[in-house]
Amino acid sequence: MADAPGQSIVLPDGRCDIIIRRNRNAPDVLMPVITGPATRAYTVTYDVGDTWFGLRLRPESAVALWRGDLEHAVDTVLRGQDAIDLVPALATHQYCDLMLDRLAGLALAAPFIDTRLTHALDILHASGGRIRVAQLARFAACSPRHLNRLFRGHTGLGTKTYAQLVQFHRTLNLITRGRVPITDAALEGGYADHAHMTRAFRRFGGFVPSKLPPRLTLPQLFAQ
Amino acid sequence: MKLGYTIIYVADVPETVAFYEAAFGLSQRFIHDSNLYAEMETGETILAFAGNEAAEMNGLAILPNDPTGPAAGWEVCFVTGDVSAAYTRAVSHGCSPVSAPSQKPWGQTVSYVRDLNGCIVEIASPIAQAS
Repeated sequence: MADAPGQSIVLPDGRCDIIIRRNRNAPDVLMPVITGPATRAYTVTYDVGDTWFGLRLRPESAVALWRGDLEHAVDTVLRGQDAIDLVPALATHQYCDLMLDRLAGLALAAPFIDTRLTHALDILHASGGRIRVAQLARFAACSPRHLNRLFRGHTGLGTKTYAQLVQFHRTLNLITRGRVPITDAALEGGYADHAHMTRAFRRFGGFVPSKLPPRLTLPQLFAQ
Repeated sequence: MKLGYTIIYVADVPETVAFYEAAFGLSQRFIHDSNLYAEMETGETILAFAGNEAAEMNGLAILPNDPTGPAAGWEVCFVTGDVSAAYTRAVSHGCSPVSAPSQKPWGQTVSYVRDLNGCIVEIASPIAQAS
């Protein structure tokens, strides 16, 4: 719950959220929010007493939420009625009594997860986004083209974009949590040079590595 | 400072522990509830396994081991008086043979296998102490 009004930058991690937002002064007014696979940072403005809860989906579950619309869902945010149009069950339930796993059951179509993709995602994360696509495809026992189809079809993002997001987060963590100097972080993060890292930080975070904004929400990748 | 641990990042920690128990006769010393970390009884320097996911949690980026590709550029070496028996046991419990026991000019018997994750494991006799 927010104890003061403010703004927070939510960084993209390529995953979709189902969020229920309300204010303690008007507990009956519930605002459902659904986000598509995110590749750009966005700012959330909040008031005193705002609360929210929700689900962050595994990346390969995006298709179970967006179904046929996944292709157009990247960086989309649906609020209120638009979210209900996508997931009609959101209109008819008392969310305050709703358990999160129940919410997942209502919102998601039956998953048809390809284990090759799950395996590839795990390896991509372990490699900090640095593994080459051809090698990743070998781990997944399919061609790079087919792997890219699996990524697009399930996460909504191409293999390369997803890898760049992982690389961005790891490098940002090297700087913030690992207290690694920026130039060293660029090399360990797998960027060709400082300029390459700066371009990635601008693209995914909207800031440069030497000027990190104070209120960053760092998503825990893969924390469930 | 001393060498305390060798930690190998693997896809499946319990499976790797079971494999090392069967193939190399080691026993498990500890496994964490999360199944993301385990240690073997290997004396003063501990051989441990961590899940690939743990690399990301620790802020590391690794290239996971791949049994179908070339091995990473390092190895674990077990020392035993009976290299031939240890090699046979390892291969019969699922290790891929790489080099059968052979005598080196300096008197050591040396063999190589790859484990379930594709890591190189050397099985060798002790080197006689120079007098």
